[in-house]
Amino acid sequence: MAARRIELMLCTGTGCVAGGSFRIKTALEGEVARNGLQNEVSVVSTGCNGFCGQGPLMVVEPEGTFYGWLRSEDISFLVEEHFLKGRPVPRLMFVPRETKEEVPLLRDIPFFKKQTLVVLRNKGLIDAEKIDDYIARDGYAAIEKVLTSMSPEEVIEEITRSGLRGRGGAGFPTGVKWRICRNEAKMPKYVICNCDEGDPGAYMDRSVFESDPHSVVEGLTIAAYAIGASRGYIYVRSEYPLAIKRMQIALEQAREYGLLGKNILDFGFSFDLEIREGSGAFVCGEETSLIHSIEGKSPEPRQRPPFPAQAGIWACPTVINNVETLANIPVILNRGADWFSKIGTETSKGTKIFSLVGKINNTGLIEVPMGIKLREIIYEIGDGIPGNRRFKAVQTGGPSGGCIPASLLDLPIDYESLIQAGSMMGSGGMIVMDEDTCMVDVSKFYLQFTNDESCGKCTTCRDGSDALLEVLTRITHGEGREGDIEFLEELGTAIKDASMCGLGTTLPNPVLSTLKYFRDEYEAHIKQKKCPAVACRGIISSPCQYMCPLHTDVPAYVTLIAKGQFKEALDLVRMTNPLPIICGRVCMAHCAIKCRSREAGDAIAIKELKRFLTDWELSAGELPEITPFPRRYEEKVAIIGSGPAGLTAGYYLAQRGYEVTVFERFPVAGGMLALAIPDYRLPKKLLQLEIDGIRQAGVNIKTNSPIENIDALLHEGFKAVLIAVGAHKNRKLEIPGEEADGVIDPITLLRKVNLREDVPPLGERVGIIGGGNTAIDAARTALRLGSKEVTIFYRRTRSEMPAIPEEIEAGLEEGVKIEFLVAPTKVISEHGRLKGIEFVRTKLGEPDASGRKRPIRIEGSEFVVELDSLLPAVSQDTEIPDGFGVEVSKGNAVVVSTESLMTNRVGVFACGDAVTLPTDVTTAMAEARLAADLIHKYLRGEDLKREYKLIRPSVRVEPLEMTEDIAETRRPRMPRVLPEGARTNFDEVELGYTAEMAMKEARRCLRCDWDLQRMREKVREQEIVVER
Amino acid sequence: MPKLTLEELRKKREEARKSIYLRAGDFKGKVIVHMGTCGIAAGAREIISTFLDEVEKTGAKDIMVTTSGCAGLCSREPMATVEVLNGPPVKYGELTPEKTRRIFKEHIMGGRPVVECALGVGSELGG
Repeated sequence: MAARRIELMLCTGTGCVAGGSFRIKTALEGEVARNGLQNEVSVVSTGCNGFCGQGPLMVVEPEGTFYGWLRSEDISFLVEEHFLKGRPVPRLMFVPRETKEEVPLLRDIPFFKKQTLVVLRNKGLIDAEKIDDYIARDGYAAIEKVLTSMSPEEVIEEITRSGLRGRGGAGFPTGVKWRICRNEAKMPKYVICNCDEGDPGAYMDRSVFESDPHSVVEGLTIAAYAIGASRGYIYVRSEYPLAIKRMQIALEQAREYGLLGKNILDFGFSFDLEIREGSGAFVCGEETSLIHSIEGKSPEPRQRPPFPAQAGIWACPTVINNVETLANIPVILNRGADWFSKIGTETSKGTKIFSLVGKINNTGLIEVPMGIKLREIIYEIGDGIPGNRRFKAVQTGGPSGGCIPASLLDLPIDYESLIQAGSMMGSGGMIVMDEDTCMVDVSKFYLQFTNDESCGKCTTCRDGSDALLEVLTRITHGEGREGDIEFLEELGTAIKDASMCGLGTTLPNPVLSTLKYFRDEYEAHIKQKKCPAVACRGIISSPCQYMCPLHTDVPAYVTLIAKGQFKEALDLVRMTNPLPIICGRVCMAHCAIKCRSREAGDAIAIKELKRFLTDWELSAGELPEITPFPRRYEEKVAIIGSGPAGLTAGYYLAQRGYEVTVFERFPVAGGMLALAIPDYRLPKKLLQLEIDGIRQAGVNIKTNSPIENIDALLHEGFKAVLIAVGAHKNRKLEIPGEEADGVIDPITLLRKVNLREDVPPLGERVGIIGGGNTAIDAARTALRLGSKEVTIFYRRTRSEMPAIPEEIEAGLEEGVKIEFLVAPTKVISEHGRLKGIEFVRTKLGEPDASGRKRPIRIEGSEFVVELDSLLPAVSQDTEIPDGFGVEVSKGNAVVVSTESLMTNRVGVFACGDAVTLPTDVTTAMAEARLAADLIHKYLRGEDLKREYKLIRPSVRVEPLEMTEDIAETRRPRMPRVLPEGARTNFDEVELGYTAEMAMKEARRCLRCDWDLQRMREKVREQEIVVER
Repeated sequence: MPKLTLEELRKKREEARKSIYLRAGDFKGKVIVHMGTCGIAAGAREIISTFLDEVEKTGAKDIMVTTSGCAGLCSREPMATVEVLNGPPVKYGELTPEKTRRIFKEHIMGGRPVVECALGVGSELGG
């Protein structure tokens, strides 16, 4: 008969069970039998393997092949392929995100490699319901050793020497606790195991119960021996049915073998345990509340001293230890205190189990030595943040802990270091957060939990948490007030000081900790009614309207398009955007960046829909009649610069009723819209049409009118001046040789092309340095001017390029090449003429201040590229004439007060790229609209301060029904001229959606604003009823 | 099941340890029987059964018997690669149950490769 050669270690922890591992077990056993392999292959139900994000999972021993994300449908193929035919199945193996190559063996998977298994020494290797498996792996050897050769004092000595500290959260030295209890004279004594694990996201204790319950039983028995107890309780929360079941089986089996009960192993020592279940009170994790719960009293804490070790359950001396602490005991006694104390740091010995969850690629339980760096856990074990988003913080210690920000990634994790950072170890929950997590929302979440779980005994905890929660809720609804932050800090500190138990003393931690590291987020919520992470539903009506700098009513106008009401839609757009033709073509679509549709498919093509509206208006001949705005005031305002900022400010000031004159230095109006953005993106005819509209609204635009001196303007009678000159002074590369002939300023080049002036010949081989829109514009223009080899050189990778993704795509299609991870070091020239560039290769390091990974030069990797022209497109500075008399800072950016947009000269304002250096069209327009408002306030003698309001829909447009086929539609591809033809001329490349495409796409909108709108309406309706 | 004494517990531990040896990872010998459809057609199932039978008969608890897919030399199947601690892997071909038993006794238990049955010495990568 063939001997067994394969054991399938199938995880049956609660997580995998929920994923169907019992069904998979049945399927495995069935298929194994069907293939006649039942003698050779057996299935073993183990407890939690730890790599929970990959469950249901199993490990094939003895080879060690790891299979994850198993489904019952996979089993028949798997059994035949691997166990019968000997060919492991790659598609069921683990694939790391970066390399995309399978890692067949568990021991090679990084998630496991960096772990040190002490408590979880048996994980995935024993059947949790078989005591013999536990015994086989040194189980009950420690109790043997203790009973045969150690006195209780010696046991306590060994545990003390090991440095083991309580793993439940407080970190009290275990040996010391046992000694205190031992020294009490009163009998009887008790041991209690605390498995009330209440922290949201923590499940290490459950995992130990489900995988290796005997380790806890053995630990409890040894503890009882050490202190002189003969009875003990295992307190486990009733929400853990599988854990309870496995522990019950373990106790029965231990009793059967005489390892529990009277006269264990014939050594005269008797000890037994009973299980008590909790009933859903988080506070019972606190030892005195837990004890009261077992005693049948209300779960509330009491004053300490006396501590349970002195007077605990039934007023008797009691050692109460956490599950993880107890599971360490047998190992320490088997391998010795010296061995144990070599693991970890000076003050924190041994290992700790963490539940690594949240925004992390590899989710699960990990056991690591104390002192490991947070960075190693997040990036090496956890494999970083999904979607390549930016790491923001880690919450440790659950609702009792605090957050550790990115700046502390190199923190070695131990009890003391976490407390110093403003957090704590707690039970080991590690919740990872990314750039989309709002830290104010996080602290509100935890407060909601602890406020709910407060037992109510202490005023500070009970009423204090109510007050904290009320303030946090207001803040997350944009109703924060001056003084709220100070109130949170003061009250939080008071609650910490005056509460009786750990629930109360730690509940302010999430608030205080997030205030410490993310105060700016709180301030944005309170002062500006903004949620930087775009998360708080009380502030964000819909991400699109929120992200749009002009706060256009996106969901409303998109639904109007879906309903075929194009005129109404465009009218709605024009309420916040005076330049829809332009924006529909060149806006960078802030709205789509956080569109919720992108989570399960494509973001809505909002910009393209706006463009459709303007195309429709033109083709339908439905251009609106524009009459000049009526003059209401005497004052006249001067605007320097006719770019998007100047045009928008002019429009809104005219709307208010002022006489506005825009002075434009160049022969055409439009700024970068006219002089940099190429025709094939924004046809000049259309730009002109929109600018004419601004003129017709009553704005005087004077071209060929450079302004060098603001005093002159003020002399002419202008009462206020707005500097909106933009930023178009090309930045230098700062490398030797860039003065050579052939190094051409791309801004000047684009201007000449747009003004139909003569351009210097670029030659066959053109190189462009940079990754923004200017670089792409320059590249695609160079192709159209006849250059054959146009290459963009960028020092980071594609995902870091700031240019609009569709532009990059279009450039590549037309034949632009992009070389990534290269940086220029010097220009090589001959007789003053460019010959080529020397580049060095780079690699990406840690993120810099902009949040993008810093490029690091690789020594010795230099190489030369021969070029005929070089266009450095690495951003632009402004040029402000001295005659303006205003203060400037780095890059010549005009300095203004953020609240008033006024420069250091009274009555002289500035906005747009002239202040911020290059951003984008709509951001500049929004700043200009604000400037117009502030100039109006200034001229009317009103308080010169900007107002912050919550962004809400201005009209009510009922959504259309979302059906399944609509939900599964993809975003339509923009019809465009074929690249081969497109690159030969400057005609518009994108052709726009048809009405059919637009209406279909508009129906995909999820109307993120609607449920809150309805809720607010219902609340108002109820208020009206109450009032009546 | 009567309550255990100390000696009984120790004995039980020894037995239990042996019964889960496949998970322990200390192997002194490893047999890879090359399967794949061609291998099975040539009779590899009988070869692996024979190896397993020998393991069962000798009661060995430190020999890993495992499988892989087709080794590429389909004309010499059934094939198996045998490696003992501190020895090079040896590829055997055109196996029969008798050859298998001999290889088990002489190479795996005795440490001496059976040269007449060997196709080559060293890993597939030529090392």
